[in-house]
Amino acid sequence: MSSALKEKPYAEEVPNNSPASVILNGRYLPPPEDKEGRLWVRTSALIQASADDLYAMWRNVEAAPGWQEQITHVTVTGERTSHWVMQAGEKTIEWDSEILADEPGRRIAWRSIGGDSDNAGEVIFEEAPGGRGIVVTVLQAFHMGKLASAWETFTGRNPKQAVIENLRHFKALAETGEIPRTQGQPHEDRGFIGKIKASTYGEKVPTPSGSN
Amino acid sequence: MKAVCWMGKSKVETLTVADPKLLNPHDAIIKITKTAICGSDLHLYDGFIPTMESGDILGHEFMGVVEEVGKEVTNLRRGDRVVIPFTIACGNCLFCKKKIWAACDNSNPNAHLMEAAYGYSGSGLFGYSHMMGGYAGGQAQYARVPFANVGPLKIESDLPDEKVLFLSDIFPTGYMAAENAQIQSGDTVAVWGCGPVGQFAIASAFMLGAARVIAIDRLPERLEMARSLGAITVDYSEEDVSVLTALKDLTGGIGPDACIDAVGLEAHSAQLQGTYDKVKVALMMETDRPSVLRQAIQAVRKGGTLSVPGVYGGLLDKVPFGAAFGKGITMKMGQTNMHNYMKPLLERIEKGQIDPSYIISHRITLEQAPEMYKVWRDKKENVTKIVIDPWANAAA
Ligand SMILES: [Zn+2]
Ligand SMILES: [Zn+2]
Repeated sequence: MSSALKEKPYAEEVPNNSPASVILNGRYLPPPEDKEGRLWVRTSALIQASADDLYAMWRNVEAAPGWQEQITHVTVTGERTSHWVMQAGEKTIEWDSEILADEPGRRIAWRSIGGDSDNAGEVIFEEAPGGRGIVVTVLQAFHMGKLASAWETFTGRNPKQAVIENLRHFKALAETGEIPRTQGQPHEDRGFIGKIKASTYGEKVPTPSGSN
Repeated sequence: MKAVCWMGKSKVETLTVADPKLLNPHDAIIKITKTAICGSDLHLYDGFIPTMESGDILGHEFMGVVEEVGKEVTNLRRGDRVVIPFTIACGNCLFCKKKIWAACDNSNPNAHLMEAAYGYSGSGLFGYSHMMGGYAGGQAQYARVPFANVGPLKIESDLPDEKVLFLSDIFPTGYMAAENAQIQSGDTVAVWGCGPVGQFAIASAFMLGAARVIAIDRLPERLEMARSLGAITVDYSEEDVSVLTALKDLTGGIGPDACIDAVGLEAHSAQLQGTYDKVKVALMMETDRPSVLRQAIQAVRKGGTLSVPGVYGGLLDKVPFGAAFGKGITMKMGQTNMHNYMKPLLERIEKGQIDPSYIISHRITLEQAPEMYKVWRDKKENVTKIVIDPWANAAA
């Protein structure tokens, strides 16, 4: 295609790829809107690591409890399938998950296949312009049946925010080898109001361990 | 251990709480030998900063001796003497790599709270609200320091604590304020606020080439200190003094080349403006009282620079942006990128170019801290800087 602008010494090619992508044919693509009981969340983070390492970290689903909130156990059950266990307090929910697309260093897509959660998602790993790192973009959908609302009431986090927080934890772990935390540090008794506030701040959700 | 806890607005108590433990692989536990109360702690005391929680340990200016290190801490060992920067930085994110340490992406566990309030999150800070990370502070006998590979400054000489303690915040903060003022040799620089940060901004402005520094405050002990550094002082509380007129008179009518607002969100103003802001703050229509900022924009010369180290927390009203545009001024501001300044400033102290302990007016115990918060807030007893020895006996 011809261009009116001939001088772009540092311009880079515009990517044009998969569903989680934020660019389509050179246009910004807004995130999908919530409708018909489906909640969408798209979030991204700029991470200082290689796309191959980040892909490998995400693909290693058995290590997910180290960075995904309230996931206590993930068992690989087949080449592309795994069983997920999530716990908050006394309550547990479980589901199976299947990988739909698996492109090393580029992209992973998955969906749940039965159990207490109806979700599907995709993560893509793209070079940021100017060599500034890797942009990791996650697009995830939750079917808002009784299951997703049960999830929210019992996890204390809206599932959209949980996706955002999990990507934040993933980034911290990839860049520093740990996830920042304050749970377990000393303080004087918070009193009644303070305890309620800690819940609403999401500070009651246990910070994942950051280790495998 | 004993620690100074925030228990509500205007309510601070010294209490016994659990000792800190290592929680992450890059943590260190520091046995604190000296800590200080900062002017910005008064914003917490006065309830200006949201998301403080009853029970939080205060304090972000501290130093001590390494007691214990996490398994990934390679540069420190038990017994090392260290000064801790008040901003916590991971060292590995894009911002840390660009040396904008105060913008670190990975040190605030409550980043979502700050994003909800401001649309972004900066680095975690010690003892400065849950939005800023919720880290336990350093007005205590021990503290946990995350990312100990990156932040702590080792003191290898035998300089006394009091000469190096202020590398934890106010000396670098004052220095960055002067650096942000883009001072050229021969410049005239005006500094609003002669508290600790203002003092170091004045000293640093001279170090960076200012020919003349004009210091503005209303407290005689602070103005005296500013004059001792070589500044010309303007006392804005004197009835016949107008700061804007004074700055014109002192610069042949053009205004200072650079203005530094070392006061921030709780600026006192003798004029009507102050009352206007008080009412708006009370009605929650405005969160900060920016009377100094307004004055500094009006005072700075055409094409000059405005540097803002003073803490602002939120929304400002009636800022004369038209004057800022019309004069083509540059504004530089922000939380201090501590890690850039600690080593070079330590070298200046080691060479004897400056002795930061000159600002200390009070030396106290942890038990005396709650009372001193009140004394300082009420601007009594000529407080300039309060240093706490967390192991000193209350009776002493
Ligand atoms: Zn401070
Ligand atoms: Zn960082």
